[in-house]
Amino acid sequence: MKFQGNQLRQTVLRMAFAGSTVHIGCAFSIIEILAVLYRSYLNLGNGQPESPGRDYLILSKGHGVMAQYACMYELGWLTDKDIDNYFGDGTILKGLSDAHVPGLEVSSGSLGHGLSVGVGIALASKIKGTGQRCFALVGDGEINEGSIWEALLFASHFQLSNLLVIVDANGYQAMGTTQEVMNLGQIADKFQAFGFDCREVDGHDEKALYQVFQELLELSSSCPKAVIAHTVKGKGVSFMEDNNVWHYSRLNREIYAQAKAELEPQVYKDKLSL
Amino acid sequence: MRNAFSDALVKFALGDERVLLLTGDHGYALFDDFRQACPKQYINAGVAEQNMVGVAAGLAKSGFFPVVYGLSSFLPIRVLEQIKLDICYEQLKVLLIGDGAGVVYSSLGSSHQSTEDIAALRALPNISILSPADASEMTQCLNWTFNSDRPVYLRMGKADLGVIHETLPNLEPGKLYPVKPGTGNLGFLATGSMVKTALEVAQEWDNSGVWSVPFIKPLDVQQVREICQQYQAIVVMEEHSIYGGLGSAISEIASTYHPSWICRIGIEDRFSQFCGTYQYLMQEHRLDVASVKEKVRNFMSRL
Repeated sequence: MKFQGNQLRQTVLRMAFAGSTVHIGCAFSIIEILAVLYRSYLNLGNGQPESPGRDYLILSKGHGVMAQYACMYELGWLTDKDIDNYFGDGTILKGLSDAHVPGLEVSSGSLGHGLSVGVGIALASKIKGTGQRCFALVGDGEINEGSIWEALLFASHFQLSNLLVIVDANGYQAMGTTQEVMNLGQIADKFQAFGFDCREVDGHDEKALYQVFQELLELSSSCPKAVIAHTVKGKGVSFMEDNNVWHYSRLNREIYAQAKAELEPQVYKDKLSL
Repeated sequence: MRNAFSDALVKFALGDERVLLLTGDHGYALFDDFRQACPKQYINAGVAEQNMVGVAAGLAKSGFFPVVYGLSSFLPIRVLEQIKLDICYEQLKVLLIGDGAGVVYSSLGSSHQSTEDIAALRALPNISILSPADASEMTQCLNWTFNSDRPVYLRMGKADLGVIHETLPNLEPGKLYPVKPGTGNLGFLATGSMVKTALEVAQEWDNSGVWSVPFIKPLDVQQVREICQQYQAIVVMEEHSIYGGLGSAISEIASTYHPSWICRIGIEDRFSQFCGTYQYLMQEHRLDVASVKEKVRNFMSRL
């Protein structure tokens, strides 16, 4: 089966090691969300990037882009060379989502941009009556941005029922926990107050994610939809979990080996059953 | 000029359902005709400019042609980053309208005055900057924009200053348009509201030439170079800061291709201090005819 959590995480580690890059924790928290979307919900049209009529996946929290690269690798949109030359001179895969890369829909990472672009895409599909859906993934740090709340107001006012916003609620942002930095209170209450049909879910439980997406997409209401996915930053590698150092830290050979060992299929499986 | 704007917009929207007008809750009377003629193509995005520009980008990516309207003190200044990343980086066909540019909102104070919009946008790749001086320039600017495939910022300043051009040839990107021919010592290059003033000021210097500059970016380098070669000195006039606007753009070209004396007339790195009529504010900034004449005299006395 494609989009296995440990496989995707291994690809992320491979890229992070090759590029000596950061934001591993940001990518690990959204692995299951992306896996379920790519596996079960995103209509990819003819299966190629930018296929007309496709559903849109907007990675508004651009810092998690390695997770999306890992999915694109499984789709055959990226090659081993792309993965192993990450951040090489003259290559196009950047450290944040970039719309010039086929398969990525928006340029983000400057936070609070992607959701509005996704709202425009959802509106366009409503006007044209194409039935295309737009899934927009935002971070719980990202929603400090005022533009996010402007976009939520707009989506609700214009009844963009084809928009599903997913909040990667991993509880951390760059400088600390979301509670320490800018306390969000109950995120779900806020989305509900903004007129969204909103559900909360364990963002690493693929079955639960599948069910909650299904439930929301089957609703006949005119409201836009939201899923607050409670996740763990750095999920999947024990020493990275809930450790915000992995927003910034780079892998050396030894740590890379340690992390990779935890993602070996048997080890990973044992851990899941615990 | 505002009627020309509204007429052209309605015409294009009626002819192409992909044209969508987005406004940040501004343009009360200006869009009466549009709302009546094409209500389904009118989107009031509320007082939320950042989201409005992002939404416009999403619409453009999906094949629509968004026309985004705001006051130039908010659009582009408040949303500069959205314009950069969401629109310019992907070179999306979006028309941004900044209304009330300069000190048009003379009595509302600095929050509603905009004398830095050109400077802020000039450094962004892929965007064209237009600044029409009268109704015929406005119509032509919009014609050109609707047929282009790029981001465009249209700066709409003081709009009731009358006709500049009896006839105007087809607008070509980057071209400067002669308003008054002259082979004397001085060439006046002006944009938007200042073209009228340039014509009046130029009367003091025998046989000086006056040009209107509806295209601030791109600019026809060869034509600017030829104009610089033609005159002893150039006076550039704009209702915008002397930093980063048309005066800077002309000076940049001149410094590279034909070093020239260039007198930059504009807002001199200051905010408005007082309230009053538009004419009063223009005097405060020494952009009225008498003040500009004095500045040009002083400049010429140093040559």
